[in-house]
Amino acid sequence: MADQSMNGSVLVVGGGISGMQAALDLADSGFFVYLVEKSGAIGGSMPQFNKVFPTNDCSMCIIAPKLVECGRHPNIRIMTLSTVQDVTGTAGNFTVRVIEHPRYVDMDKCIACGQCTSVCPKSVDDSFNSNIAKRKAIYIKYPQAVPLKYQIDPTSCLHLKNPTKCGACAEICPPGAIDFNDREREHIIQVGSVVMALGFQTFDPAKSKIWGYGVYPNVITSLQFERYLSPDGPTDGQLSRPSDKKPVKKVAFLQCIGSRDKNRCNNEYCSTVCCMYAIKEAMTIKESNPDLEVTIFYMDMRTPGKEFDRYLERAKNEYGVRFIRSRIHGVEPKGTKGDLRLHYISGQGQQVEEVVDLVVLSVGLETPESMVRLAERIGIHMTPDRFASISAFMPVHTSKKGVYTCGAFNGPRDIPQSVTGGSAAAASVSALLTSVRHTQTRSLLPPVEQDVGGEEPRIGVFVCHCGTNIAGVVDVEELAEYAATLPQVVHVARNLFTCAQDTQDRIVQEIRDKRLNRIVVAACTPRTHEPLFRKTLKSAGINEYLIEMANIRNQNSWVHNQEPEVATQKAKDLVRMAVVKVQTQVARKAIRLPIAPSVLIIGGGVAGMTAALNLAEQGFQVHLIEKTTQLGGNALHLFQTWNGEHVPRYISELKENVQQHPLIEVAYTSTVLSVDGHVGNFSSTIRTGSSRKRVINHGAVIITTGAKRYIPEEFEYGKIPKVVASIEFDKLHMHNETRVANGKSFVFIQCVGSRNEERPYCSKSCCTHSIQSAIKLKKEAPSRQIYILYREIRTYGQRERIYNQARELGIVFINYEMHGPPKVKKDGKGVLVEVWDHVLHRPLEIKADVVILAAATLASPDAMNLGNLFKIPLNSDGFFQEAHVKLRPVEFNVDGVFVAGLAHYPKPLEESISQALAAAAKAGRLLARKEISLEPNTALVDPVNCDGCALCIEVCPYQAITLVEYEDEEGTPLKTVNIDPVLCKGCGICQGTCPKRGVDVAGFTYAQLEAQIDAALEEEAPLEEQL
Amino acid sequence: MIYEAKVNDLASEFGVHRNTIRNWINSGVLPAQEGPGRRYLIQYEDYKRLCDKYGREPRISPDPGAAGEIAQPVNENVPKAVRLESKKNPFYSAPNLADICLTCGSCAGACPISGVDDLDPRKIIRMAFFGMEEELIESDWPWKCTMCGKCEVVCPMNVEIVQLIRRIRGQRDRDKVPVAIQKGVITCLEKGNNLGIPKDDFLALIKELGQELAEDCCPGFATPIDVRGARLLVTVNSKQPFAEPESLTWWWKIFYAAGESWTISSEYWEGVNWALHSGDYSAMRTIVKRIIDNIERLNCKALLLPECGHAYYATRYALERWFPESLQQFKIYTVFDLLLEYVNQRRITLDPSKNTKLVTFHDSCNYGRKSLKTFGHGYFDEARTLTRACCPSYVDLVPDREENYCCGAGGGAWASPFGAERVFHGRMKARQISTSGAKVVVTACQNCRDQLQVSLKREFNLNVDVCFLWELVAKSLVMPKRIVGEVQHG
Repeated sequence: MADQSMNGSVLVVGGGISGMQAALDLADSGFFVYLVEKSGAIGGSMPQFNKVFPTNDCSMCIIAPKLVECGRHPNIRIMTLSTVQDVTGTAGNFTVRVIEHPRYVDMDKCIACGQCTSVCPKSVDDSFNSNIAKRKAIYIKYPQAVPLKYQIDPTSCLHLKNPTKCGACAEICPPGAIDFNDREREHIIQVGSVVMALGFQTFDPAKSKIWGYGVYPNVITSLQFERYLSPDGPTDGQLSRPSDKKPVKKVAFLQCIGSRDKNRCNNEYCSTVCCMYAIKEAMTIKESNPDLEVTIFYMDMRTPGKEFDRYLERAKNEYGVRFIRSRIHGVEPKGTKGDLRLHYISGQGQQVEEVVDLVVLSVGLETPESMVRLAERIGIHMTPDRFASISAFMPVHTSKKGVYTCGAFNGPRDIPQSVTGGSAAAASVSALLTSVRHTQTRSLLPPVEQDVGGEEPRIGVFVCHCGTNIAGVVDVEELAEYAATLPQVVHVARNLFTCAQDTQDRIVQEIRDKRLNRIVVAACTPRTHEPLFRKTLKSAGINEYLIEMANIRNQNSWVHNQEPEVATQKAKDLVRMAVVKVQTQVARKAIRLPIAPSVLIIGGGVAGMTAALNLAEQGFQVHLIEKTTQLGGNALHLFQTWNGEHVPRYISELKENVQQHPLIEVAYTSTVLSVDGHVGNFSSTIRTGSSRKRVINHGAVIITTGAKRYIPEEFEYGKIPKVVASIEFDKLHMHNETRVANGKSFVFIQCVGSRNEERPYCSKSCCTHSIQSAIKLKKEAPSRQIYILYREIRTYGQRERIYNQARELGIVFINYEMHGPPKVKKDGKGVLVEVWDHVLHRPLEIKADVVILAAATLASPDAMNLGNLFKIPLNSDGFFQEAHVKLRPVEFNVDGVFVAGLAHYPKPLEESISQALAAAAKAGRLLARKEISLEPNTALVDPVNCDGCALCIEVCPYQAITLVEYEDEEGTPLKTVNIDPVLCKGCGICQGTCPKRGVDVAGFTYAQLEAQIDAALEEEAPLEEQL
Repeated sequence: MIYEAKVNDLASEFGVHRNTIRNWINSGVLPAQEGPGRRYLIQYEDYKRLCDKYGREPRISPDPGAAGEIAQPVNENVPKAVRLESKKNPFYSAPNLADICLTCGSCAGACPISGVDDLDPRKIIRMAFFGMEEELIESDWPWKCTMCGKCEVVCPMNVEIVQLIRRIRGQRDRDKVPVAIQKGVITCLEKGNNLGIPKDDFLALIKELGQELAEDCCPGFATPIDVRGARLLVTVNSKQPFAEPESLTWWWKIFYAAGESWTISSEYWEGVNWALHSGDYSAMRTIVKRIIDNIERLNCKALLLPECGHAYYATRYALERWFPESLQQFKIYTVFDLLLEYVNQRRITLDPSKNTKLVTFHDSCNYGRKSLKTFGHGYFDEARTLTRACCPSYVDLVPDREENYCCGAGGGAWASPFGAERVFHGRMKARQISTSGAKVVVTACQNCRDQLQVSLKREFNLNVDVCFLWELVAKSLVMPKRIVGEVQHG
């Protein structure tokens, strides 16, 4: 089967979140991955961030498990301090030359004890901390770095510059890991495919003196601001003025620094993420200092993503962040004490002078020069904005076959888009290399599990500082001392970050050394971190379920951050409860089931077809069901992508490929009636056109049910024939209907039905769509007058180019946010549009021949039903709610169910395609495993107590319980229940309902819960007088 | 409603000096009554009018709820709707004069007179874009604007705002152009210089000045008039022979010390070109053509326009636009190029010990950012090198160079009837100078010098001396011992 001309290894260049995601998906799908990173540790930019929008999760906390997963994956080889020199060969078989720069520290020997750093005499600016702090010449990039190995910076090391000097680190290093003779090494790697996740750098505002960056200490970049706010940053999350360390009272954010500017830099594009991160940073600082005055100076607030507009509204209304639509031209000092003066024009057109303590420059994203050169060496095309040139139809394919790309190297984008892109690239690689899957991988068998069942519990407690997230509030030392006094606890340790990779190794060692057989981790939430620690237990050779997490962060230090003593007391209570629970924990075995190697895809639009084709190319059977009589979905209404590619041609090719693929079976006029089963083994009942029912067995499902359009009720739509919706207008335009052909004046009205009280979200694609139509009209006849009435032009990313092009062509943009929506009325044969100008503050009258309404995109009405069938949630706008906005953008908490396209949120074509590929990657990764293990946290029946009253059958949301009648030895008819362990999710509703203690959920038994409650109520160090 | 404020409060509110407020009150620009506690009582309407004039948000409002809100004016105050329709726009054809504007507000934020007359650069661009030509031509704002180009420096889309302003000015009927400017242009066209100084008077004056100089410190000096084959042709600002003739001799002294071969033309000696301000391209071309003719007639190799930033800018602009071939025939010097050449070639020696005060340099817009933008080089470093060579104690203004604030009198504003706005504009400059702590302000432009020396010093109570760069150089010169007859010619 294996193709001799193909290689089953993949090179991923760039260890940021996008590259990591591609590497993990590929490694789990049966490919060996070389993850090449130019710095000393993977992680990219995310570890530098404090929080992420719009969830305000701690960035480090959500990326840490992924870092560790990459670090210990048997099929990922991380190559740090390495750069790709060249790539030769063709798709399926590339030869890559990688230069590994010397680390001067032997990675096998280094134990990351940090003694070298403490003796190193040379301090230099720490670029990880955006130069607001110092590091030593020998250092680790950040405390949770993977790999956690020190490195010497040769440009600042005294010994490397002059061998007669210093060398203190080599003298003190206990394992003798320092190697000053380390030399550059060249590696030649054979791979089948390359993924370029080259990432970005932030714009350097020192390039222009006008912002005062590098001149006035109180002008900082947004990335520096992140480091100030970060609990693990150099100031422990405390913000003070850089110049005098005084508290900050007034902050101004200046947007578009190094973006949307062809004067001071050549970055004409919009950096996409700065509006959102500025809001996030403003909210964060307001949270800790409610009296602080925060102003964001902007041109357009570009918050088109899912839940982004709500975030913006919250910042305005709940947090009191001030937003001023005015681009600040420069920063001047006021006096000599470090204050800064901003001179700007108010919305009303009056001069305003404001003095602030701190100016934050919202710096844009750009491709580093070295990466542009690498792209040139590899031979892939770039855009004028210096990002990888990609087609909207193939959003992760570079111009070179077999070379894929993802992340911000494809254009500025946020974390979910980067994660989606990483998965999408993995899907494309998987399709290319499917014939050589599993040829280069190796599987590591975990150590044989020891049976600790009969042994006396020996409990180890690991207390996490989580940087200062926990240790900044809870007295962790006291907590550790207290934990050591608890019964059967034989070992207690504290860690800066218990989830860091080196800590895992240490836990394994301590389990072995101290013969621990039960573990308590007092840290954060089991929801994100338990899987990580379970793997650690596994590799230590004990059953992975012998662990209990005490959530002393989310449920303690975060909520009681003003009351450290109470928090310490509560932490003790939580640890005590965890200890008593883990004492009675028993070993369990996962349920292993074969996987049906096929996928059900619901919805035959572009997302559905893309996912179908990719999975079929990966070799899986696909059942694609479509509600209507034809494939194509909403894309059938589109004519071109933002950069002018022809959509109908692409759709017809895609349709043909889908229909002709032997592994894809398309069912038209079909809907899902009911769903049984679970991940790996779903069986869904489908009603087809002829009202016939049929059952499809499938291992995974992808929901690509699309969206529908809003039928406007405003602006005389339906009353004046010259007022049309944009999709209708496209048709009229295509056929050059008389209204268009004879039209001299066209008015587009944006945000019709979007961003209002009923639908407080942005439909994302309408600004681009209207501008494209306008450009086309103008190019056909330059004498046409075209007006676009908008609230915020959201041509994010490189789309800004078409906005610039439109203005260059003389298209008039009028912002109606300030003075209220336009009025549309009949005027003779034409239409009169009245609107106020946002610059002149005067009424305008426009005689229009056609008025085009950019109508909102609405959630599909089928979503609710499907959501119920698959037990997956919708957000308040009716779109499917993914498992985690940032890191699991196409998944749900229900395993084996994925989402892509408009069903998730309104978005342009290339984002739908990218998401569809990502969903295909996730489904493929699942199906490639051939076998699935299910959580054994299921409910178990106690036949002694259960009398078959059947109350639990009613309440079970998973239909996992059935009534069983049997006879005992004496022939008495008896009843009990049977619980299907595959269907059961362990939710515990049956346990709560049962009046007779007839059901117990494994891991949450009555006995365990009672013990926990008793422990909670146990009177320990009394604190009553304080409470 | 009455607005009650002290002079100090009003000064800080409007960003001007106390003197300016007192001037406003005394001249009736701001009708105010003296009240108790050295406060002035001002009718709200008068106060509002002043706020509107200078584009400031009033501190008090009869309707406190509306503060900060942008409400549409109620019925009777609603301005007439602007009807947007297709029409040919005579102002411009290139989209970078208005169309590509993002309406971001950077220009308006940077412009010191934004809001004056309820207009600002962004509104001007917008009106041009909407084809509101009559209103624009009618408006005085484009004449209050000093065309300093600060707006262009900050524009992210490189909208050519100065060019647009000049086109608007050029569209005005000539009889409606501010009298002094138009008179200057016409007089220059008819009589050869802006002030109409007769040839004989001029020649007599400069000859006499030359004799005085020879007696004073330059033995053997004689004013070189129409010297054929002299290397350098030097133009003259008619203001100098008219008002402060001795100022001419600073340059002469430097030429003497440097042993320069130079000459003044007896005809068409004026380098100042106000047609640049009035937007009259044909007059601009004519005036520059005369200079070219002089160079050809006298067979000179180089040209120096020492009078003013705009003289250099206008001439260079016209040469590049209409006479590009002449730039191959002769070299056009800025004052900086020439002085630096003398210093670098050790043709002059400077003694910095004569100047001990803290000195700063004011970048003129024309030599600075406008030259940078139009000709690819701004004279920032040269100016500082020369100033520092004369003065050991130096401080820069903040901001400076490209981002420097205009003195407030550029673009013909010194000659225009909008004195109040000119002073208002100058408040930025005055603030910069007083916060710098400098005691001497050096500049290389007659116009800037006049505004600083004559207007801003008084209005803002600035305790500084203002001098020309060449004045500073001339005063720092170590005079060579030169005997009669050694002065080179050709």
